[in-house]
Order: sequence, then structure tokens, then C-alpha cells
Amino acid sequence: MVEFKLPDVGEGMHEGEILKVLVRPGEAVVQDQPVIEVQTDKVSAELSAPATGVVQEIRIAEGDTVEVGTVLLVIDTGAASGEGTEAKPTVTPVSAPEKQSTATVPARQGASRSLATPYVRQLAREMKIDIEQVSGTGPAGRVTEEDLRQFASAGQKRALQEVSATAFAAAPVNEPAEPARPVTPAAVSKTAEQEKPVQKQAASQASALPVGVGDHLIERLPLKGIRKKISEHMVKSVTVIPHVTSVDELEMDQLQALRERLKPHAEKKQLKLTFLPFFIKALVIALKEYPVMNASIDDATNEILLKRFYHIGIATDTPDGLIVPVIRDADRKSIFQLAAEIKQLAELARQGKLTLEQITGGTFTISNVGPIGGLQATPIINHPEVAILALHKMEKRWVVREEEGVIRQMMNISLSFDHRLIDGVTAVRFTNRIKELLEDPNLLFAEMV
Amino acid sequence: MVVGEIAIETDVVVIGGGPGGYAAAIRLGQLGQSVVLVEKEVLGGVCLNRGCIPSKALIHAAGEYHKLAGLGKLGIRLPDGSAAFHMPDWQAWKESVVAQLSQGVEQLCQANGVTVVKGSATFLSADRIGVETGGDFETYKFRQAIIATGSRPFAPKALAPDHERILDSTDLLNLQELPKSLAIIGGGYIGMELGMALAKLGTSVTVVEAAPGILPQTAPHLTQEVRKQAKKLGISVKTATKVEEISRSGDQVTLAVLSEPHGREELTVDKALVTIGRVPNTGDIGLGQAGVVIDEKGYIPVNAECRTNQPHIFAIGDVTPGPALAHRASKQGIVAAEVIAGLPSSVDSPYVPYVIFTDPPIAGVGLTPEEAKEQGYRVRTASFPYRANGKALVIDERDGFAEVVVEEDTHLLVGMHVVGADAPNLIGEGALALELAARVEDLALTIHPHPTLSEVWLEAAEAALGHAIHIVNKK
Repeated sequence: MVEFKLPDVGEGMHEGEILKVLVRPGEAVVQDQPVIEVQTDKVSAELSAPATGVVQEIRIAEGDTVEVGTVLLVIDTGAASGEGTEAKPTVTPVSAPEKQSTATVPARQGASRSLATPYVRQLAREMKIDIEQVSGTGPAGRVTEEDLRQFASAGQKRALQEVSATAFAAAPVNEPAEPARPVTPAAVSKTAEQEKPVQKQAASQASALPVGVGDHLIERLPLKGIRKKISEHMVKSVTVIPHVTSVDELEMDQLQALRERLKPHAEKKQLKLTFLPFFIKALVIALKEYPVMNASIDDATNEILLKRFYHIGIATDTPDGLIVPVIRDADRKSIFQLAAEIKQLAELARQGKLTLEQITGGTFTISNVGPIGGLQATPIINHPEVAILALHKMEKRWVVREEEGVIRQMMNISLSFDHRLIDGVTAVRFTNRIKELLEDPNLLFAEMV
Repeated sequence: MVVGEIAIETDVVVIGGGPGGYAAAIRLGQLGQSVVLVEKEVLGGVCLNRGCIPSKALIHAAGEYHKLAGLGKLGIRLPDGSAAFHMPDWQAWKESVVAQLSQGVEQLCQANGVTVVKGSATFLSADRIGVETGGDFETYKFRQAIIATGSRPFAPKALAPDHERILDSTDLLNLQELPKSLAIIGGGYIGMELGMALAKLGTSVTVVEAAPGILPQTAPHLTQEVRKQAKKLGISVKTATKVEEISRSGDQVTLAVLSEPHGREELTVDKALVTIGRVPNTGDIGLGQAGVVIDEKGYIPVNAECRTNQPHIFAIGDVTPGPALAHRASKQGIVAAEVIAGLPSSVDSPYVPYVIFTDPPIAGVGLTPEEAKEQGYRVRTASFPYRANGKALVIDERDGFAEVVVEEDTHLLVGMHVVGADAPNLIGEGALALELAARVEDLALTIHPHPTLSEVWLEAAEAALGHAIHIVNKK
């Protein structure tokens, strides 16, 4: 008998949400076969069976959030060899190898197989309810139709409570990367896809729960998965950190000209050269000059941690929600190297294939919403970092240069900073420096390490 | 194979038209999938053509013939005092039954839009099969597939049938003439069913079984009546006996057998029947090319949805580990079809009833008392004998009993077994009771029709509660 516990799949992880249980009680599994999909800190990971055997018991359900060390399932490693006949095994697989391929007496399952009629079992499957999780109120503890409906309805109530607890965090304009980010059709359909079981569950007990008022339909979806993680993270950030946001504008003409000149070279390397790598380089130079911007606060010890490495997080929009892959040691990479890495990480993020290492350990975050639009924002800091820089839309504007109105490519940037640690003056000087480096890219190259 | 061949596209291919395969194909048709069902012989598979149906036809005929001898005491006299069994007539009748059923399956397939292809299928890849149809070779591209190729009789080389004197069960059911003497190697259910039938028709039968008892997979207390009846029928049963050698000697077959008390003996008979097990047909259908894995015994492991390691390829019936029973295959076939069509379906019941058509027949579902105890249940058992049942006496079938196995604390039924006339029909009630998670009281409080054999369940349930009417209850 092997108890499979939620392993610590990465640094700092202490809990995970069970996204999917890929096996059922009684199912034979081989070692390293994926059995559970778990959502940890923004990464979904497939956990593999630690041993070959028969799944004896599943102790968690989809949607549960469990701590590291929690027993997820129990594998009977003796089942295949006919051992493990301890008192009342939970399950005897239907297709377990029989002694002989002729008429043998198939074993009834042990007492912990819940009692229910075949129809109720079918109904449970249709409602996507694991009948073993339902306590029966019928004779001798039989699970009845009514029990299933009660169970489904209780699940709904749980989901609703979660939503109301975090509702303000999930409200619009609450994400650092995407202020007023529209919900994309892709995101909706993905969410709908993910939440299908629950919707079905809701539909099946439509009579029990009003889902709308008159013609005005309210769709109820549980806050879970990456979205739930984001919401928790946002709540923590705004609760812990006193945010201040300062906005500035950059003249981008020179940088744009430079970028145009470099583009053909980038294309030779099959790279798409955006402004982002330049921003990263300028940012890193400024961070080195203002170490406090690349710090964090250890709330437990009241210490300031100044980091002498520059791991820059790039807030990325994915169908699953906001993900922040991290470019490590950005100060030691060329513009082209950065461009290549951004492209690679963004792709992995959209495919949901980022590893935990690729999204942790950042020291400063850039959120680039320019391509979508927006003039300014109050981005929320990616805790425990102490500042975040948002880049907005680049557009031609009338500006005054040497007493004359001229048209220039302008871009706003918004810097939110942790006012516990950073004073307004420091923050503005910091953005001034970035501005200086980008408005005259010659300077950027002169300063570049 | 032609270069640049054109594959015919279909949603699902089902390989094998037995009770699992055709049920799957029909269900898929009902669910709107395009289905190609490939069968290399005749629809209906082993069950319909070489197994359940032909053997039960023989067992039924033998039973009716055997009854004639006992009809005298019921006041029935045969005009000339004797009866005869004409094997060729029986064969013709059996063929007509099989043909009717097989045509029925064909019509059902047609009515449900299933394309039936006669030929041998081989996987070419994970999404293609090739079908050889007597010289032609067609390829089919599928999105999902169901493997339902069944099993065949197993015989080690030393006991390989020559299909003339040394037979397998298929050969035996196709005989045009009854052998005078028959040795049956293997006292499992096929051996005992056919052995008892032939003994009733006048063949001198010897059963050689390596295990200490006949029907070794069945609880000994359930097989007792069969042992008694076998003796009455004059069947010589040699248990704990191994066949050392088998050889043909002219028109006869000689077996050298070895046992503890008797040492080596020789046994010469007209024909020998080898029934020692079955092996899955998984060897020559290109499973490797489809990436489907098999276990060391050749079975294809599947999950409760009947999926193989290749999630879009399913396997059902005798090719999967578990008892080789037609009703198991059919259930799996329907589940696989429903899963393919996106319905929530699962083989999630441990209650697969078994039926053995010996004399008397045995049937059961759930646990025997021994199995229940092994699994840690505290159980009580109660049984009710046929001889206390009015209908059993009326039809002159007084041998047998019905037994219920009840969990002591909850009174839930965990097993029901019956030995005696019509046991295979009676176990339907048992299967339903266990599926409905019935308590023994549910059985006892249900009005059973009188006079019927089904009352044995009522009385056994009442006996478990200590208040059977027609027997003296144990204090």
C-alpha cells in the first residue's frame, strides 16, 4: 500500500489545487503514469504515480486545495500480485486479473464502496459527482437521488462563498498588467470549458437554485485555477503594500528609429524586435543605480533585501490569465538575446508549459499593455517585489519642443512603488533615468554592461 | 498494399463481431457515429456460433432426452418404450437457431447504420486498419477503435487438437455422430457442461482434472450436487490427475494419466476433448503498430471506460483481463461506445453474475461466504433447499439449494448463489438485488409468485432472518 502525498514540486509551494483526477478507484496504474493534475503557484503540473498497482482510494476531489504532504490517493501495490487482501479493501477492480479466464466469482467491493442503485450511479456520473464522496441518507446509508442533488447544491454554495470572499480582487482594473483588460473570447471559452462540470452540476439542479432574474441570466462560475491564484495574489499585494503610482511620458522617436535600423538584423536571426528588450536594458541600468527599487521586504524579520541580480518578470496575457515568466540575469543579456527569450517564454506561457522555475524568483516586473491600449494605470506590485513598471500605448502627440509645437511618438509609463520603502522622489528619479536612457538610446548603449 | 492507397474514413472501427463487438457497433450507430464493424467469420462470435448458443442447444437437447427416462413415474409412457437421439437432426436444428440469431444481429447492424465488413483486420498504425477481404485489401482511417477480437481455446502443444480425434469444444459441437467414449481433459465449466450433456446422450465420459475437484473456480459447497449427479450419470471423474501423454492409436485415442493414489494409468477412448482454458486473440492484429500494450498473458489492460493505453483505442470482452463471459463483453461494448460518443459511462459494477449449465446448473453473483470472510466481512449465510419448494417437486427437480450471504451488521446482501433447476434464470433476481444494494429484508418482504422456483430466494432470505416458513429454522 503506497500513500501518494502532494509533493513539493517547487520552491515556496505549500499548497496546490487539484485540477483533475485522471484515475478512478480500482484502476490499475503503472509507475510514472500521470494520475493527478495540480495547479500550484501559476503552474499546472501533472503528478505521476509513484508506484505500479491498483488505485485503492482517492482522498481528494477535483477543485480541492490541499497542502503539501496531504495524501492524495492510495495505491495498492500488492493488488496485481494478488497480495494485499487486508480487511475490506476499498475497491476490487472489475477488470482485475482473474485466476482463470472462465467463470469465476467476481469479488464484491468492500464496504467502503458507497451503496447506490445503478441509476443513481449513472446520475452521479452525469452530474460529474464522485459518488464515493457523497454520504447517503437512504436505508443502510444508500446514496439517493436527493443526496446527489444536496451534494451538488452544497458544492455550489461553497463556490459562491469563495467568489464573495475575493470579489473585490476580481473586480475590473485590478491587475497590474492589464488595467481594464477586456475578457477575451478565448479566455471565456477556455473558462467555460474548464468549468463545464460545475455548470452541468448547476444545470442539473436548476430547480434548486435560481440562476437569473427574469430574462437576465446570471452565470455563476467558481473562482478557481489560475484566476483564483491571481485573485489571492492581488489581495495580498494591495493589502500588504501601500501603493503609489507615478506616471511619466517618454519621447520614443529616436528609439523607434534605432529599432527600425536593427529590425533587418533581428529578422536575420528570426527575431521580432519589440521595444520591450530596450526597456529591460534601461530598467536594469536604472535598477543598478537605485538598488532599493530591486529590493523586497522580509515582513517576518523587518529586513530589506537588496538583490544584486536582475530577474525581470514580464507580465504576459495568456488564455488562462495573467502569467509572469521571468527573464533571469537580464543585465547579462544582449538586446537580441532578450528578444529571443521574451518570445520563447511568451509562447510557453500561452501553451501553459512554463515550469515553476520560469515563473519564480523575479526581482522586478514590467507589464506591457501598450499593444492593447490605455493611457495610464495603477499597476499592482507583484509581491514581494517593491515596484512595477507598466508601459502604455505609443502614439503621436503634439508636444512643445524649444517653444514650438511638434509631433512626436510619445509613450506613457506608470510606475507603482512600495511607499514603505521608496520615497516619491526616488521613484521619480528612477523613472527620469529610464526616460533619459530611452529617449537617447546612444546613452543606453554607452551605459550598457 | 498499394502505394498511395485511399483510406475510407470512419468515426469508429470495431474489430470483432461477437457479443461485445456487435453490441458496441449497434450502440455507436444509435449514438450517431459512423461505424465499420470488421468480422472475419460470422457475426455473433464465439458466443453465438461456437460457444453459449450451440452448447446450450446441446445441453438442452440432452436434458430433454435424459428426462424421458424419468417420465414413466409421471405417468407418461413412450409407445415403444424407448427414445433415440439423432445427432444430424440436432445439428440442423442448432444451425437454424444460430442462423436466425446471426441474421438478427446482421439486421440490427444494418438498421443502426453499421457497415459490416467481412475480413481480417490488422492495425497499420494508431489510426488506420487494413482489412483483408479474400484477396482485396482495404484501409480504414478511424478516429477511435474498439478491439473485440475475443479468445480461442487454449491447448499446450502436447495436447494440440487434431480436430478429428482430439477435439476442442468447437469440434465437439460440430460432430455429426456421438462418440461412444469421450475423455475430457479439464473439468472446468465447459468440460463439465459438455461432459454431462454427452453422458446423458449415451456417451461414456471420463473427466480428467488436474485440480483436486471439478469446477475448480467454483466454491466446493456449490459443486457438490454436480459431483453427485455426475456420478449418477456414470461419468468417471478423475481429479488431481494429470495427463502425461496423448496419442492416437488407430481409430482411438490413448491418454496416459498420472495421479497420486493410482500412479500411471492408460485410458483409451474414441475421442478426447481438450478444454483447459482460453487465450486472448491479441497476437496477430498489429497491436504493436497501433501502440497498444498487452500484459504478459496477452490481455489488453483497460480502465473502467475500457480505454487501452492509447486513449482513443478501446478493448472489450475476452481480450481484456477478467472472466471470459459474453455478458461482460456486451456491457463493456456498450460502455466503450457511450464513452466514445461522449456520454458518462463506466464499467463500475463488481457484480458480474456467472452461470454454469451443468446438471444441476449453478449460478451466482457477488461473494461466496468464504470470499466474504477473506475480505473481512462478518457474514451470515442461509440456504433453502429445492426439496422444500413445491414447484421443484412438481417438476421433479429436487436437487439443489439457494444461498444468501448477508453482512451481519447491515443485513446487506453481499452474495447470492443458487444450485438447481433453472439457476441461470433465477440469478437475475440476485444480480438486481445486489445492484440495488438490497438488504436481506428487501428480499424477504418482496412478494414472490407461487408456485415458482423463485420462492427459494424468499425462503432463503427469511431463513437468514430466522423465520423461514417451509423449513425448520436454526435456533
